Amino acid sequence: MKAKTFPGGFWFRKYRGQPVDTLINIGVPSQVIIPLSQGFGSSCEPLVKKGDMVKAGQIIARDDASISSPIHSSANGNVRAVVKMNYFKREVGMVVIDTDGTDSIERLDGHSPAWEKLSAEQLEELLYLSGVTALDREGIPTRFRSSIIMPEEVEDLIIHGACSETYNISLELLLKGKNLFDFVNGIKILKKIMSKAHVHLALSKEKTDLIEKIQKLVSHMENFTIHPVVPKYPQGYDEVLIPTLLAKKFPYGYSAANIGVVVLNIQAVLHAFEAVTEGIPVIERTMALCGPSFRENIHVKVRIGTPLEYIVKGRVTDEPSRLVINSLLTGIELNDLFLPIDKAFSQIIGMPEDAHREFLTFVRPGMRRDSYSRSFASFFLNAKKLCGTNLQGEERPCFQCGYCVEVCPVKILPTLINRHIRLGIDENLMKHGIFNCIDCNLCSYVCPSKIPLAKNLKEAKSKLVDSGCDHSLCILPRFNLKGLEEYNGVKSIR
Amino acid sequence: MKLLRTVLDVTKKMLTKHPLLGKLYPIYEATDEIFFGTDKTTGFAPHMMDAIDIKRYMSLVIVALIPAAIAGIYFYGLRVIAIILVSYTFGGITEVSFSVVRKKPIYEGFLVTGLIFPLILPPTIPLWMVAVGVVFGVFFGKEVFGGTGRNIFNPALVGRVFLSMAFPGYFATEWQEPFIKGLGGFAAYTIDAVTSATPLISFKSSQIVSEYVPLLFGSAPGSIGETFRIGIIVGGLFLILIKIADWRIPIAYIGTTWICSFIGHAFHPDVFAPPLFQILAGGLLFGAFFMATDPVTSPLTSEGKWICGVMLGILTVLIRGISGFVEGVMFAILLMNAVTPLVDAVIVNMRYTQTGIAVQEPKVAEKRMYDRRKEDKK
Repeated sequence: MKAKTFPGGFWFRKYRGQPVDTLINIGVPSQVIIPLSQGFGSSCEPLVKKGDMVKAGQIIARDDASISSPIHSSANGNVRAVVKMNYFKREVGMVVIDTDGTDSIERLDGHSPAWEKLSAEQLEELLYLSGVTALDREGIPTRFRSSIIMPEEVEDLIIHGACSETYNISLELLLKGKNLFDFVNGIKILKKIMSKAHVHLALSKEKTDLIEKIQKLVSHMENFTIHPVVPKYPQGYDEVLIPTLLAKKFPYGYSAANIGVVVLNIQAVLHAFEAVTEGIPVIERTMALCGPSFRENIHVKVRIGTPLEYIVKGRVTDEPSRLVINSLLTGIELNDLFLPIDKAFSQIIGMPEDAHREFLTFVRPGMRRDSYSRSFASFFLNAKKLCGTNLQGEERPCFQCGYCVEVCPVKILPTLINRHIRLGIDENLMKHGIFNCIDCNLCSYVCPSKIPLAKNLKEAKSKLVDSGCDHSLCILPRFNLKGLEEYNGVKSIR
Repeated sequence: MKLLRTVLDVTKKMLTKHPLLGKLYPIYEATDEIFFGTDKTTGFAPHMMDAIDIKRYMSLVIVALIPAAIAGIYFYGLRVIAIILVSYTFGGITEVSFSVVRKKPIYEGFLVTGLIFPLILPPTIPLWMVAVGVVFGVFFGKEVFGGTGRNIFNPALVGRVFLSMAFPGYFATEWQEPFIKGLGGFAAYTIDAVTSATPLISFKSSQIVSEYVPLLFGSAPGSIGETFRIGIIVGGLFLILIKIADWRIPIAYIGTTWICSFIGHAFHPDVFAPPLFQILAGGLLFGAFFMATDPVTSPLTSEGKWICGVMLGILTVLIRGISGFVEGVMFAILLMNAVTPLVDAVIVNMRYTQTGIAVQEPKVAEKRMYDRRKEDKK
């Protein structure tokens, strides 16, 4: 099978510090902090108050009226406080729980290992009550308003393990042994709910073993396709996956659900299977600790709400380092280690804060350095590369090398738009497709002049929106969009 | 290394204390950055940066030019080194004085101009003329437009055109025969001034098509750096391989030249030279690999690059064949430099009209108007 791909993008190959296939359960911390807005959906009102006893798996916040999924306590203990906190630039309610250290989990009612016998409605209820429906960018549609569309409206379900980031959670670990069968059954459960959907499984073409194994297991399944994809960044983005796999155009600025597509990653499918057959709600995540700043690059199983400090303490090397969440290109820097993790976390990347100056750095062969151009020895010798936070050069005026144009996955001209931004932010920018930009930050990464293109574009976009420019008019007429009212309703929290 | 660091630190102290000397700060800054790189880190996403910077980008172009430059020294004597040094010194002074006046860092774009310019000059050129040419090229070709990245024309070509207009004598007849025996020019400062016509001149005047092998290895007369064509091809392919130069322009340029001269030669063999001769003679290969691909003055879009390459080919063959000039590469590239912004604008407009974004624009404008009227009423 020929691997599918898209024009542009960049393959981050062979970075040192990829996580190995070891999983450690780090247990229950003494205190968990549960954000009341996790994953997709609006935030919920808490059902508990200070002093209440809660059990792991108990629903502590739920709102059936708005588009949301229930939130669970992830540990047994007492509610210490219900507070508002600044959580990654959003004001989010939090339930602080003092745990008692036990690790038992309350199971959901109505779960059954013989899931085939459950009706679609029962399955949906299990998924909704377990909080699985809030996973990933657009959630999983059920009749409980967990997504902006209904399950019958889903035409395509994409499950992806594109592994297109610099550091990726190990698919081999997630799908080890029995988990592989669980995964395939998870897909079947989702198919039962979204009865009209064609399932597409996109896997990195490097994972040939995995593709073969899954191929054998699903040979009898209808409406199912496996697509090997080239793990070029940003293949894992909805906006890039859908045109690559389905030959559909994407309504930039809207969500995949608006055109009847649901995109999930592999861990979400495994959670769905657990919720239905064992009744375990989503209160645990497998996370990868990647990058050269961790002593050991392993995977950890953590309770949701665990403060970051509890996870990284003692695991980071002594040298000054920067911790970034999920992606080195788009992730947020973790400055406040008191903050807890939520359902959206899948990896923490640690890299050295690299401010030291290197003698005659621009003429060195560059065995450990990565570049879009092929001007470093690492490309020809296929060496392992190191990441760091050094700017790698001085900011200079643009000389139109065209790298940003070549890598742009949505085929806009970042440098030209940037030039227009400098002249003034007005609707003229829309003519150049500024709202097609998907914030993958790849243009900033490749720029030899170190111009913060992606940041400038992002700021210009938000200024345009603030000044009352309705960007949805750019692309609307060509699409038959679904769930638009609901979409506008939840727009503010995305 | 430590000594250098101390020297630089002391200089910095001196420069920051003294108000008049402080104006020279860009020079210190550039030296410091060349030797020690940067200590800045990324402040926001992306947290990691591509390892290439402009210094490396420009140095690699220089590396690719080295075969042509060394061949130039071998063919025309050690005086070529003096020419290159003069070009770097005077061009550098122009660039630095502009940085000092503008209070901006010194940009690296000049590194390439300073080497390309001497390579496209005739070997007998007096040193003072090199200085005049490079100062004119950098000043009027680049700085008046706003410095690196903003120039419309290739500065080296602007300097060369200026010289060929102001001192036509040196560019018409006095083309030195290269010295190709033994150590060649490596052992002598200058070589005997035996002059002869370049292959293009002899074709123009008497329809002589010279042999291809001497053209390829450089034993035919021509500009300092344009004659060792094997080295130019190797250097050009190296740049394309490491993604510094774009492959579309050279391919389109050389391909179109081949096609156009093939057609022209079939109908008017005395006006248009045969295809392979056109490609190997004169500065076509040097122009195609090193000057037409200059990122600042070539189109940004890939369609634009193809158009640019094709137009260059057509213009070169036409100028060489029909006009009074013998060589057309220089004028073809300058002409295409001038229309590059237009080509890009047309391509971009076409692209977004197709995707339907531009079509929607009136609606947005209407909405704006509507909003404004509402505000007025209030």
